[in-house]
Amino acid sequence: MYKQITITGFGGQGVILAGRIMGEAAAILDHLESTLVQSYGPESRGGACSAQVTIADGPIYFPYIQSPDILVCLSQSGYDKHVATLKKDGVLIVEQDLVKPEGGRDYFAVPCTRFAEELGNKMMANIIMVGFFTAITGAISLEAARATVKKSVPKATIEKNVKAFERGWEYAQATLKGRREKAAGRIGVVA
Amino acid sequence: MPTEFKIVLFLCSWGPHAAFQRLQDQRADIPPEIKMVRIPCSGRISKALLFKPFEMGADGVILVGCAPGACRYGTGTETAAENTEDTRQILDLIGLDGERVQLGNFQPDAADDLLAFLKAFAARIRELGKSPVRAQAGRDRFAGEPETVEAIVARHDVFACQDCGKCTSACSLALAGKPFSPRYVAAEIIAGHADRPDVRTSVNACLTCGVCYERCPSAVNFPEFIKDMRAYYHDRAVSAVPAHGGFFQSMMRAMTSESLVPRRWTHLPESIRTNPQSRVLFFGGCASYFDIFFHKFLGVQTERIVEDSLRLLNFFDVEPALMSDERCCGHDLLWSGDRENFLRLARINADAIAATGAEEIITACPECCHTLCTEYARYGIELPVKVTHMHAFLEREIGKGAVAFKAPQGRMAFQDACRQSRFDGQADLPRKLLKHLCADAPEALDDDGAPTPCCGNSAWIGCDAFSKHFQVQRLQRVRQSGSTTLITACPKCQIHLRCAMEDVLRGGDLKLETMDLVSAIARSIYWA
Repeated sequence: MYKQITITGFGGQGVILAGRIMGEAAAILDHLESTLVQSYGPESRGGACSAQVTIADGPIYFPYIQSPDILVCLSQSGYDKHVATLKKDGVLIVEQDLVKPEGGRDYFAVPCTRFAEELGNKMMANIIMVGFFTAITGAISLEAARATVKKSVPKATIEKNVKAFERGWEYAQATLKGRREKAAGRIGVVA
Repeated sequence: MPTEFKIVLFLCSWGPHAAFQRLQDQRADIPPEIKMVRIPCSGRISKALLFKPFEMGADGVILVGCAPGACRYGTGTETAAENTEDTRQILDLIGLDGERVQLGNFQPDAADDLLAFLKAFAARIRELGKSPVRAQAGRDRFAGEPETVEAIVARHDVFACQDCGKCTSACSLALAGKPFSPRYVAAEIIAGHADRPDVRTSVNACLTCGVCYERCPSAVNFPEFIKDMRAYYHDRAVSAVPAHGGFFQSMMRAMTSESLVPRRWTHLPESIRTNPQSRVLFFGGCASYFDIFFHKFLGVQTERIVEDSLRLLNFFDVEPALMSDERCCGHDLLWSGDRENFLRLARINADAIAATGAEEIITACPECCHTLCTEYARYGIELPVKVTHMHAFLEREIGKGAVAFKAPQGRMAFQDACRQSRFDGQADLPRKLLKHLCADAPEALDDDGAPTPCCGNSAWIGCDAFSKHFQVQRLQRVRQSGSTTLITACPKCQIHLRCAMEDVLRGGDLKLETMDLVSAIARSIYWA
C-alpha cells in the first residue's frame, strides 16, 4: 500500500490539522509509515494552504507529492489548483457547498462546513472531513482516526469533535449506501 | 334446551318477521341459542350494533331483512349488505371469524327457507365454537386513582384557574360558536356541579386538543382533567355514547380478551420485508380497521401510512418485526373514560411487546406513540423498549445525508396532530421533515411554525355541527392560501378532514389532496 493524499483549502480551515490527524492515525495506531508536508502562505487565515500526506506500509523515500491518489478540497481555489494533478483513477473529495467540481469526473461531496455550523462551531469542518475521508477511502482505520482526533483537539472540545468526526463518518456511510442502492436499481421507496 | 351458545338475530319487522312469526306459530324447532331482536329495518343496524353483541359475549349475529327490492324504506337492504360486509372484514382482521356475522333476506312467505337458514347458521357457529371474546365481569380499577370530583380537581390543581378566559378565547369549539367554555366547565366542577347534565355534556364535548393548556397562565392541564372526569362519569355509567355508535370503543374492549388473536397483518403487501428476529418492532395501529369502516364514504386509505412507513424502514435497511396479533394501544378507551379496559389492553400489550424481545418500537401514529410512551408509564405499565415515532426515525436517517427529495408539486399546508405537537411538544419534528421535503422549493410550504387547530375530534368521542364548522373553516383557509395538498400527521386528522370535504353543498370549495407526511416522504425520497 502506498497512498498519497493532498488536502487543500484556505488557511484556518484546519487543513494541516486534518493532514496531521490522518498521518498520525496511520503511523501510530495503524502501525504504518507516514509523512506530512505542509505548505502555506504567510497569512494566518484566508490564504491557500495544503497538506501532503503519504501513508504506506513500507518506508517512504520522498514525502512530496506530484500526483495524489486522493485529493481533498475544502476550497474552490485549492480545487482549481490541484485537480489537474489528481491521478486518473484517484478519489476526489470536496466540501459540497464551497467547491463546484467541473468536468464529468466522479467525486464524493460532504457539506462539512454546514454540518459543523449545525453542531455549533464551523471550526470543526476539518474533523467532519476526516470522518468522511476515513469512511470513503479506508486509508486509515475508524478506531485509529477517532482516537487521534481525541488527542489532537483541545481537551474541552473533545466530545464535540468526536461527534463531528462521527457525523462525517455517518454521512459517508449513507453516501456509500446510497450508491450501492442506486447501483442495485433501488432508487426510491415506491418504484 | 339450554345451550352454551349465544346468537343474536336482528329481525326486520316487515317482510321476514312474518316468516319468523309463522315459524313460532308452527312451533318450529328454531335453534334455542338464537335470541331474536325485532328491529324496524335491517338498514338501521349499523356496524356498531352488529359488533356490539360480540363485545358482550355473543358467538354469532344474524341480520335478517327484506329481499332486495322489497325494502319498505328503499335502501335498507343495500345498506344492510354493506354494513354486514364491512363488519365481516373487520371481524376477520380482529381474529373473530367473519362468518360469525351473516345477512339473510327473506320474503314474508319464505318461512321454511328462513328456518333452514337459521339452522345452518347455528350449526356453523357450533362448528366454529365459542367466541374467543369474553364478556367481562368484575371491575379492575386503577388503584390510587381519584374517585371523587374533589380529588380530581385537587390533583390537577384546577383551583389555580384565574378565570381569565384565555382558554375559551382559543378553544376551537368556542370559536366555532358552540356554547362551550373550558373556564366555565372548570368553575362549575369546582362549584360541585359535576353531575349536572350540561357539565357532563361539556366534558364529553371537549376535543382534548390541548390549546387551552398551551394558553393557560396557571398551567392547568385541562385535557388531563377532562380525561379524569370522563373516567369519573364512566365509573358511574353515565358517559355518553361515543361517535360512530361506539364501534371503535367496542372493538377495543373486545380486544381486551386474551383468547382473541387478531390477524392484523394479513393484508401486508409482499414487497415489504420484515424480520421476526429484528430488534426493531413496528407498531401499526388501527389504520386497517379505519379503512374498512370508512371506505364507503371517504375512500380513506390510512393503511397506506403504515405501508409507506414500513417501506421507508426497508429503504433505510431496517427490517422490522411485526406482532401478528397486534392489538390497539388503548388510546381511545383511555380518553373516553374506560380506564379499566385501557389498563387491560395495556397489560396485554406490554406483555406481548416484552415477549418479542425488541429494543425499540417504531410507530407512525402519534396517538400510539404518546400512549405507549407516556400514558402507559403514567398508569404504572412499564414497557421494556424505547418508543420512537416514525418522524424521529426519519429525521435521524435523513440527517445522515445522501438522500434527496423530488420537488413537491403545488403548495402544501400541514395539519398538526394534537398528541404529537401539543401533548408531546414535538411540533418541530414534522416541520423539520417538511423542510427536507421542500428543500429545493421552500416556497411550496405554507406554514407559520405554530401548531394548527384541531382536526375536529379525538378518540371518536363526539362530533357535531360545530366540529364540522371549524373543519370547513380550516379547509377554506388552506385553500385560500393557495395550497393544494394538506399534509397530515395522524390517520384520524385525515379521516375527519376528508369527511368535512364530503360536504354536498360546499364540497367543491373544500377539496384538497390529503396525504400523510410519511407517505409524502415515501413518494419523493431517493438516494442522491
